[in-house]
Amino acid sequence: MSMVSTASKWQKTGFLVFLCVSVCCTLFPFVWMVSTSFKSPAEIFTQTPTFIPAQPTLDNFRNLLKAANLGRSFLNSLVFACGMTVLSLMCNAMAAYGFAKLSFPGREKLFALLLLTMMVPGQVTMMPVFLILKTLGLLNTFTGLIVPGVASVFGIFMLRQFMRDIPEEILEAARIDGCSEFRIFFSIMFPLCRPILATLAIFSFIGAWNEFFWPLIIMLREDMQTLPVALANLNGQFNTDWGLLMAGSVLVVVPVILVFLLAQKHYIKGIAAGGVKE
Amino acid sequence: MKKNALILVLTLLCLLIAAQPAFSSEPEVRLNVWAMGNEGILIRNMADRFEALNPNVRIITQSIPWAAAHEKLVTGVIGGMAPDICQLGTTWMAEFKSMDALEPLDSHLQKSSFVKIEDFFESALSSTFLDEKRFGLPWYVDTRVFFYRTDIASAAGFSEFPKTWNELKALATAIMKNKARDNSPGFAISLPTNDWQIFLMFFWQAGGQIFPEGGLSPLLTAKPAIEAFEFMRSFFNENLASLTSGRDMDLLTAFETGFFPLFVAGPWMVSSLDMSKPQLAGSWTTAPMPANQSGASFIGGSNLVMFKSSKNKELAWKFIEFMMTAENQTAWYEVSKNLPAVREAWNAPALAENPHLKAFRRQLENAVAPPTIPEWEQIANAISDVVEPVMHGKRTAEEALSDISTKAGIVLHRAVKSEGATSLWTLALGLAAGVIMLLLAFFRWGPKELDNISNRRFQPVAVIFVLPAVFLLATFLFIPIVASWFASFTNWDMYGISNPSSVVWVGFDNYRQLFSDPVFWISLRNSLLFTFIGVPLNLICSLLMALVLNREFIRFKALFRIGFFIPCITTMVAVAVIWRWLYNPEFGLLNMALGWVGISGQNWLSNQWLALPSLIIMAVWKGFGYNMIIFIAALQSVPDVLYESAEIDGANDRQQFWHITLPMLRQTTFFVVIMTSIGFLQFFAEPYIMTGGGPLNQTMSVVLYMYNHGFKFYNLGYASSIAYVLFALILCFTLIQSIIKKRLEGAKK
Repeated sequence: MSMVSTASKWQKTGFLVFLCVSVCCTLFPFVWMVSTSFKSPAEIFTQTPTFIPAQPTLDNFRNLLKAANLGRSFLNSLVFACGMTVLSLMCNAMAAYGFAKLSFPGREKLFALLLLTMMVPGQVTMMPVFLILKTLGLLNTFTGLIVPGVASVFGIFMLRQFMRDIPEEILEAARIDGCSEFRIFFSIMFPLCRPILATLAIFSFIGAWNEFFWPLIIMLREDMQTLPVALANLNGQFNTDWGLLMAGSVLVVVPVILVFLLAQKHYIKGIAAGGVKE
Repeated sequence: MKKNALILVLTLLCLLIAAQPAFSSEPEVRLNVWAMGNEGILIRNMADRFEALNPNVRIITQSIPWAAAHEKLVTGVIGGMAPDICQLGTTWMAEFKSMDALEPLDSHLQKSSFVKIEDFFESALSSTFLDEKRFGLPWYVDTRVFFYRTDIASAAGFSEFPKTWNELKALATAIMKNKARDNSPGFAISLPTNDWQIFLMFFWQAGGQIFPEGGLSPLLTAKPAIEAFEFMRSFFNENLASLTSGRDMDLLTAFETGFFPLFVAGPWMVSSLDMSKPQLAGSWTTAPMPANQSGASFIGGSNLVMFKSSKNKELAWKFIEFMMTAENQTAWYEVSKNLPAVREAWNAPALAENPHLKAFRRQLENAVAPPTIPEWEQIANAISDVVEPVMHGKRTAEEALSDISTKAGIVLHRAVKSEGATSLWTLALGLAAGVIMLLLAFFRWGPKELDNISNRRFQPVAVIFVLPAVFLLATFLFIPIVASWFASFTNWDMYGISNPSSVVWVGFDNYRQLFSDPVFWISLRNSLLFTFIGVPLNLICSLLMALVLNREFIRFKALFRIGFFIPCITTMVAVAVIWRWLYNPEFGLLNMALGWVGISGQNWLSNQWLALPSLIIMAVWKGFGYNMIIFIAALQSVPDVLYESAEIDGANDRQQFWHITLPMLRQTTFFVVIMTSIGFLQFFAEPYIMTGGGPLNQTMSVVLYMYNHGFKFYNLGYASSIAYVLFALILCFTLIQSIIKKRLEGAKK
């Protein structure tokens, strides 16, 4: 496991202090964001910044609720993120199973082709996909927002890596017992892949929640806006209301951090698995 | 447990979708109105008034973020989702007209009993008149005047604001003299260097004209342009103005402290100063432009336009008409502080009695609008690009002038269609056939090592498993990738929207143009810089943290890990807000912290040397946690036995690191380097949100440049060729890295 070493007390304290300082630096911008969101304009623009607002105010949050239809945006973001998560898990897991455990001619080549597309910058496909959705009449719908992102090469790649390590013997045993491939997939693969599925679930949830450009382009009506787009809307052309923006940022960031904290073990395990294997 | 969660999520989804308001059941007529940013929110007030007068009408207002307004409107028009009425900046009129998106208003105007074309300021009307037709009406106007501190000006011996260029210069010099005497910080005037409007104002004042000969060339009259360049530059040369552009500088405070006692701005500044600096009242006012040949200023503002796709044109006209009455123009001023475009509205006390508005009223009679051609937005960008190097002394005025005409030439040339090219469809079909052949060949004769014997077997059920994903990927990934490959050989641009037959095959023209496009080379250099600096920094931070966190005596490992990881899961929009605030030149914490240790603050995002490093630091902060997690996992998979035996052999910490840890991490490092490099080569969101690619294009990345051409200017052909150059670059990177990897492994054996 860990590096075996004998460190002196001084070294130990040194490392600990180093870590604490680094983590404080990393988290500082967030603390500052929260602090600013509770400040009045007068306190925001001072030459001697205060860490804890001297006169905390909820004005920024009140203005926020007045300025934009945030409840609706919140719901939209939730539908988008949840829908994306459920559908993409299903779709990618099935494909990964096909690529990892079933055989068909050209399998590895097809997969190599998929991997190759990972190198194409995402913005290349934006405009054509937009035109396709338009032809299909899917603009301004959750379907149009979610479906193009459901199948992800990255997701299939991660799941396939994981599934390949599951011993063939388990599947063979099930097959001999007369299980159909679907039975095997749902009753054996799915439970065995639980850790990586949990990871990908959080991946796609957080990814969708944070997505900015796609919802901006697809959801043209205001009542279909997602939260990050609504936040970007708060930016004035010439003047910037920093308090309001910070309050908006708090609102966008906090749910994601909560979701992450609840499921961080899976998330971290999954990233590790994706990076270390192969 | 999994199942329950799934059911829960699905139920939630159903509920949410069912909870969407059912608009169709409502009897009223609906009208969609879009406006930008804050105005999109404030227009609700006017909509409420209109609804009170027309009870069966429901106005649905929508606010569009300024930064993304152009792409949003373009996509709206293409997607057939344009509103009935929209606010459209004067410089955008011609472009949307050329897409055939706007409805002419002439017939409505003739019938109207209370909107007369003569009521509007002439200069404001020019942008609405295209090809002998009237598209839209001026909603509000915006012109630039001088804001100045009366107390500082009179201390410098000027009781009245300068009327000529020479007097302006004299005032600025006198102010600086006083500043030097009092040892007070700052400059005489705030002059943005990346703003085409400021340059054009001086150009017009020097007697210049755009397209002086009527045709598309030359763009600017030469002598006044050079005079304007040199006049502007003299402010920087004589240290009367500062070279850092003011993107995040708080002008209001700089004005209050006297750091910048003079600046040029629009009407929004009047209300901003009234509201946030009431203590300054009485010691500042506005003045019309000092004159050279003329005292012209730039006129901007917004028109209200009706879209062709509107299904309620009569009602839409009724709303536009409603917004144009003098009474409602005044009301709109009171709501939004935007200046009325109708002369009569200025007689209302709210406007007539405001002393700061007098200068605007006078300037409006002497204001010039840029030409209404679809390519103007791009030409304006080109001018901004050229002005900045002149102010920095990197180009002479003459060189800049020729730069402008070259750039405008490229933009305008693109508009001239090459006739008689081979039919696009024949070639497209030919190429499609070629691609299919290539794919077939890949599957038939592709790399042998991918031909696993066991996969020759065919399990039909595999099709069912793989099909959904492959189908989706084909539709939303393969086809688009191939489509933009084709597009990269065409001149597909905004004219193609209304007239698809104008899209023709141009062969390698886009690529040829790309390689002679200086901005593309800058963007390429920047992307490589982002990668070569960002990746190693990211690697060092993540590996260092991973090594420390892997020490067995460290407690609360999970907590530290979460702490380092949180930036990775935060949306870029919020991160950009926070960091723009940290980097803020005046109230940003970074500069304050530097101030405490006695280092003077920097203009992080608008300094040409600091902007790129500032973005890299932010990107590393946001991204290193991800790789750290991967490294921790890799470290934990190193067998303990290795360390134990090394311990027995007497190897110290450092030796263990170099001879065990690093070699064992090779695989992981390879993976991490490739993934991170690809990420950095595609650097986009950070500069898009934080700097827009400026200053001097120093943070323009390849993907941002491509995005600008694709979504902002709608040059799909050109944008696609940029995408493919980037693709080739990424491919090369990956290949080089795998060759290096093979070499290393070969050397080990």
